[in-house]
Amino acid sequence: MSETAALRAVDPKLLEILVCPLSKGPLRYDAARQELISDKAGLAYPIRDGIPIMLIDEARSLDDTAG
Amino acid sequence: MVHQVFDRRAVSRHQARAAGAFQEFSFLAEEVADRLTERLEDITRSFPIAVDLGSHGGLLAPRLRGQHGIETLISTDLAPAFAARSRGPAVACDEEALPFASGTLDLVLSSLALHWVNDLPGAFVQIRQALKPDGLFIGAMLGGETLKELRECLVDAEVELEGGLSPRTSPLTDVRDLGMLLQRAGFALPVVDTDRITVTYGSALKLMQDLRGMGESNAVLERRKTFSRRNTLLRAAQLYHERYAGPDGRITATFQVLWMLGWAPAENQPQPKKPGSATHSLAEALGAQVCGVEASSPLDDTSGNG
Repeated sequence: MSETAALRAVDPKLLEILVCPLSKGPLRYDAARQELISDKAGLAYPIRDGIPIMLIDEARSLDDTAG
Repeated sequence: MVHQVFDRRAVSRHQARAAGAFQEFSFLAEEVADRLTERLEDITRSFPIAVDLGSHGGLLAPRLRGQHGIETLISTDLAPAFAARSRGPAVACDEEALPFASGTLDLVLSSLALHWVNDLPGAFVQIRQALKPDGLFIGAMLGGETLKELRECLVDAEVELEGGLSPRTSPLTDVRDLGMLLQRAGFALPVVDTDRITVTYGSALKLMQDLRGMGESNAVLERRKTFSRRNTLLRAAQLYHERYAGPDGRITATFQVLWMLGWAPAENQPQPKKPGSATHSLAEALGAQVCGVEASSPLDDTSGNG
């Protein structure tokens, strides 16, 4: 995938219905970091090229970046 | 604790590997997607929000766009690289841990993805919960008779040459289990049936190559970490040819597809009545006379007409 390819935007409808797959709790959308944050599970799921990666293995643990 | 049969990381890896050249091997998935689309044609209600669970790069989206009142069709795959191939909204997610809020979906479709799931009852429960009341689930998964020819030949070749067995092709679900699983997961009016797709190949080695191409390599956890011995595979291919080749020298491979359909329960759905609550007798409705047990069998009555 080339750097110049147009970035796919995440579909707003997705943001309405997605929840954390681990806790089934709500997600916060961080548009700047392109992440969906589950406060309940302490995980941030990446959005890559408009595709939310809702995999626990791929999520960033929020404890890592407490600062 | 669910017994872990499948290595989900291996499943994801196989799919990611297949994502690149999938169109060359997608005939089976395409065929099942076509059949699934046909089945949906029999149902008249509209489904604004639909999910294609395990979409193989969004196979259903082009077939269903603008059909059945679908406004949003979300394609999901376990491997992010597969999800990225689909047009329209896509999500990478694990069928065993769905990321959909409860009561948000009108329709969940799943074509050839659920046979890799360890916790099938758990997946069904999560699908049912994600559906709105009266939401519909239609799934197709490979059944226990899939690739029975190949399994048999691999087993025999391995016993013959290596003096032992290792789990080689994946265990699959039986059609009889499915209806019960759907019911236990809380689906109303579940329907299960089976379909068979026969494919012919030049050789069993080509078949094995194709399975890899489809992202369907063996993902059994206990699979050997070393590669299969080439001799064993060759012997299996030879046995396959001896037993299953047609007059033209090509071999056949059978894929069994299990179809399942269920509705999320809703008040307005047809409900079974309580026993004994009928107000008219069945005989009356059929215009028949009620016979005593001594009466001759109905078969005898009609035999004169045939």
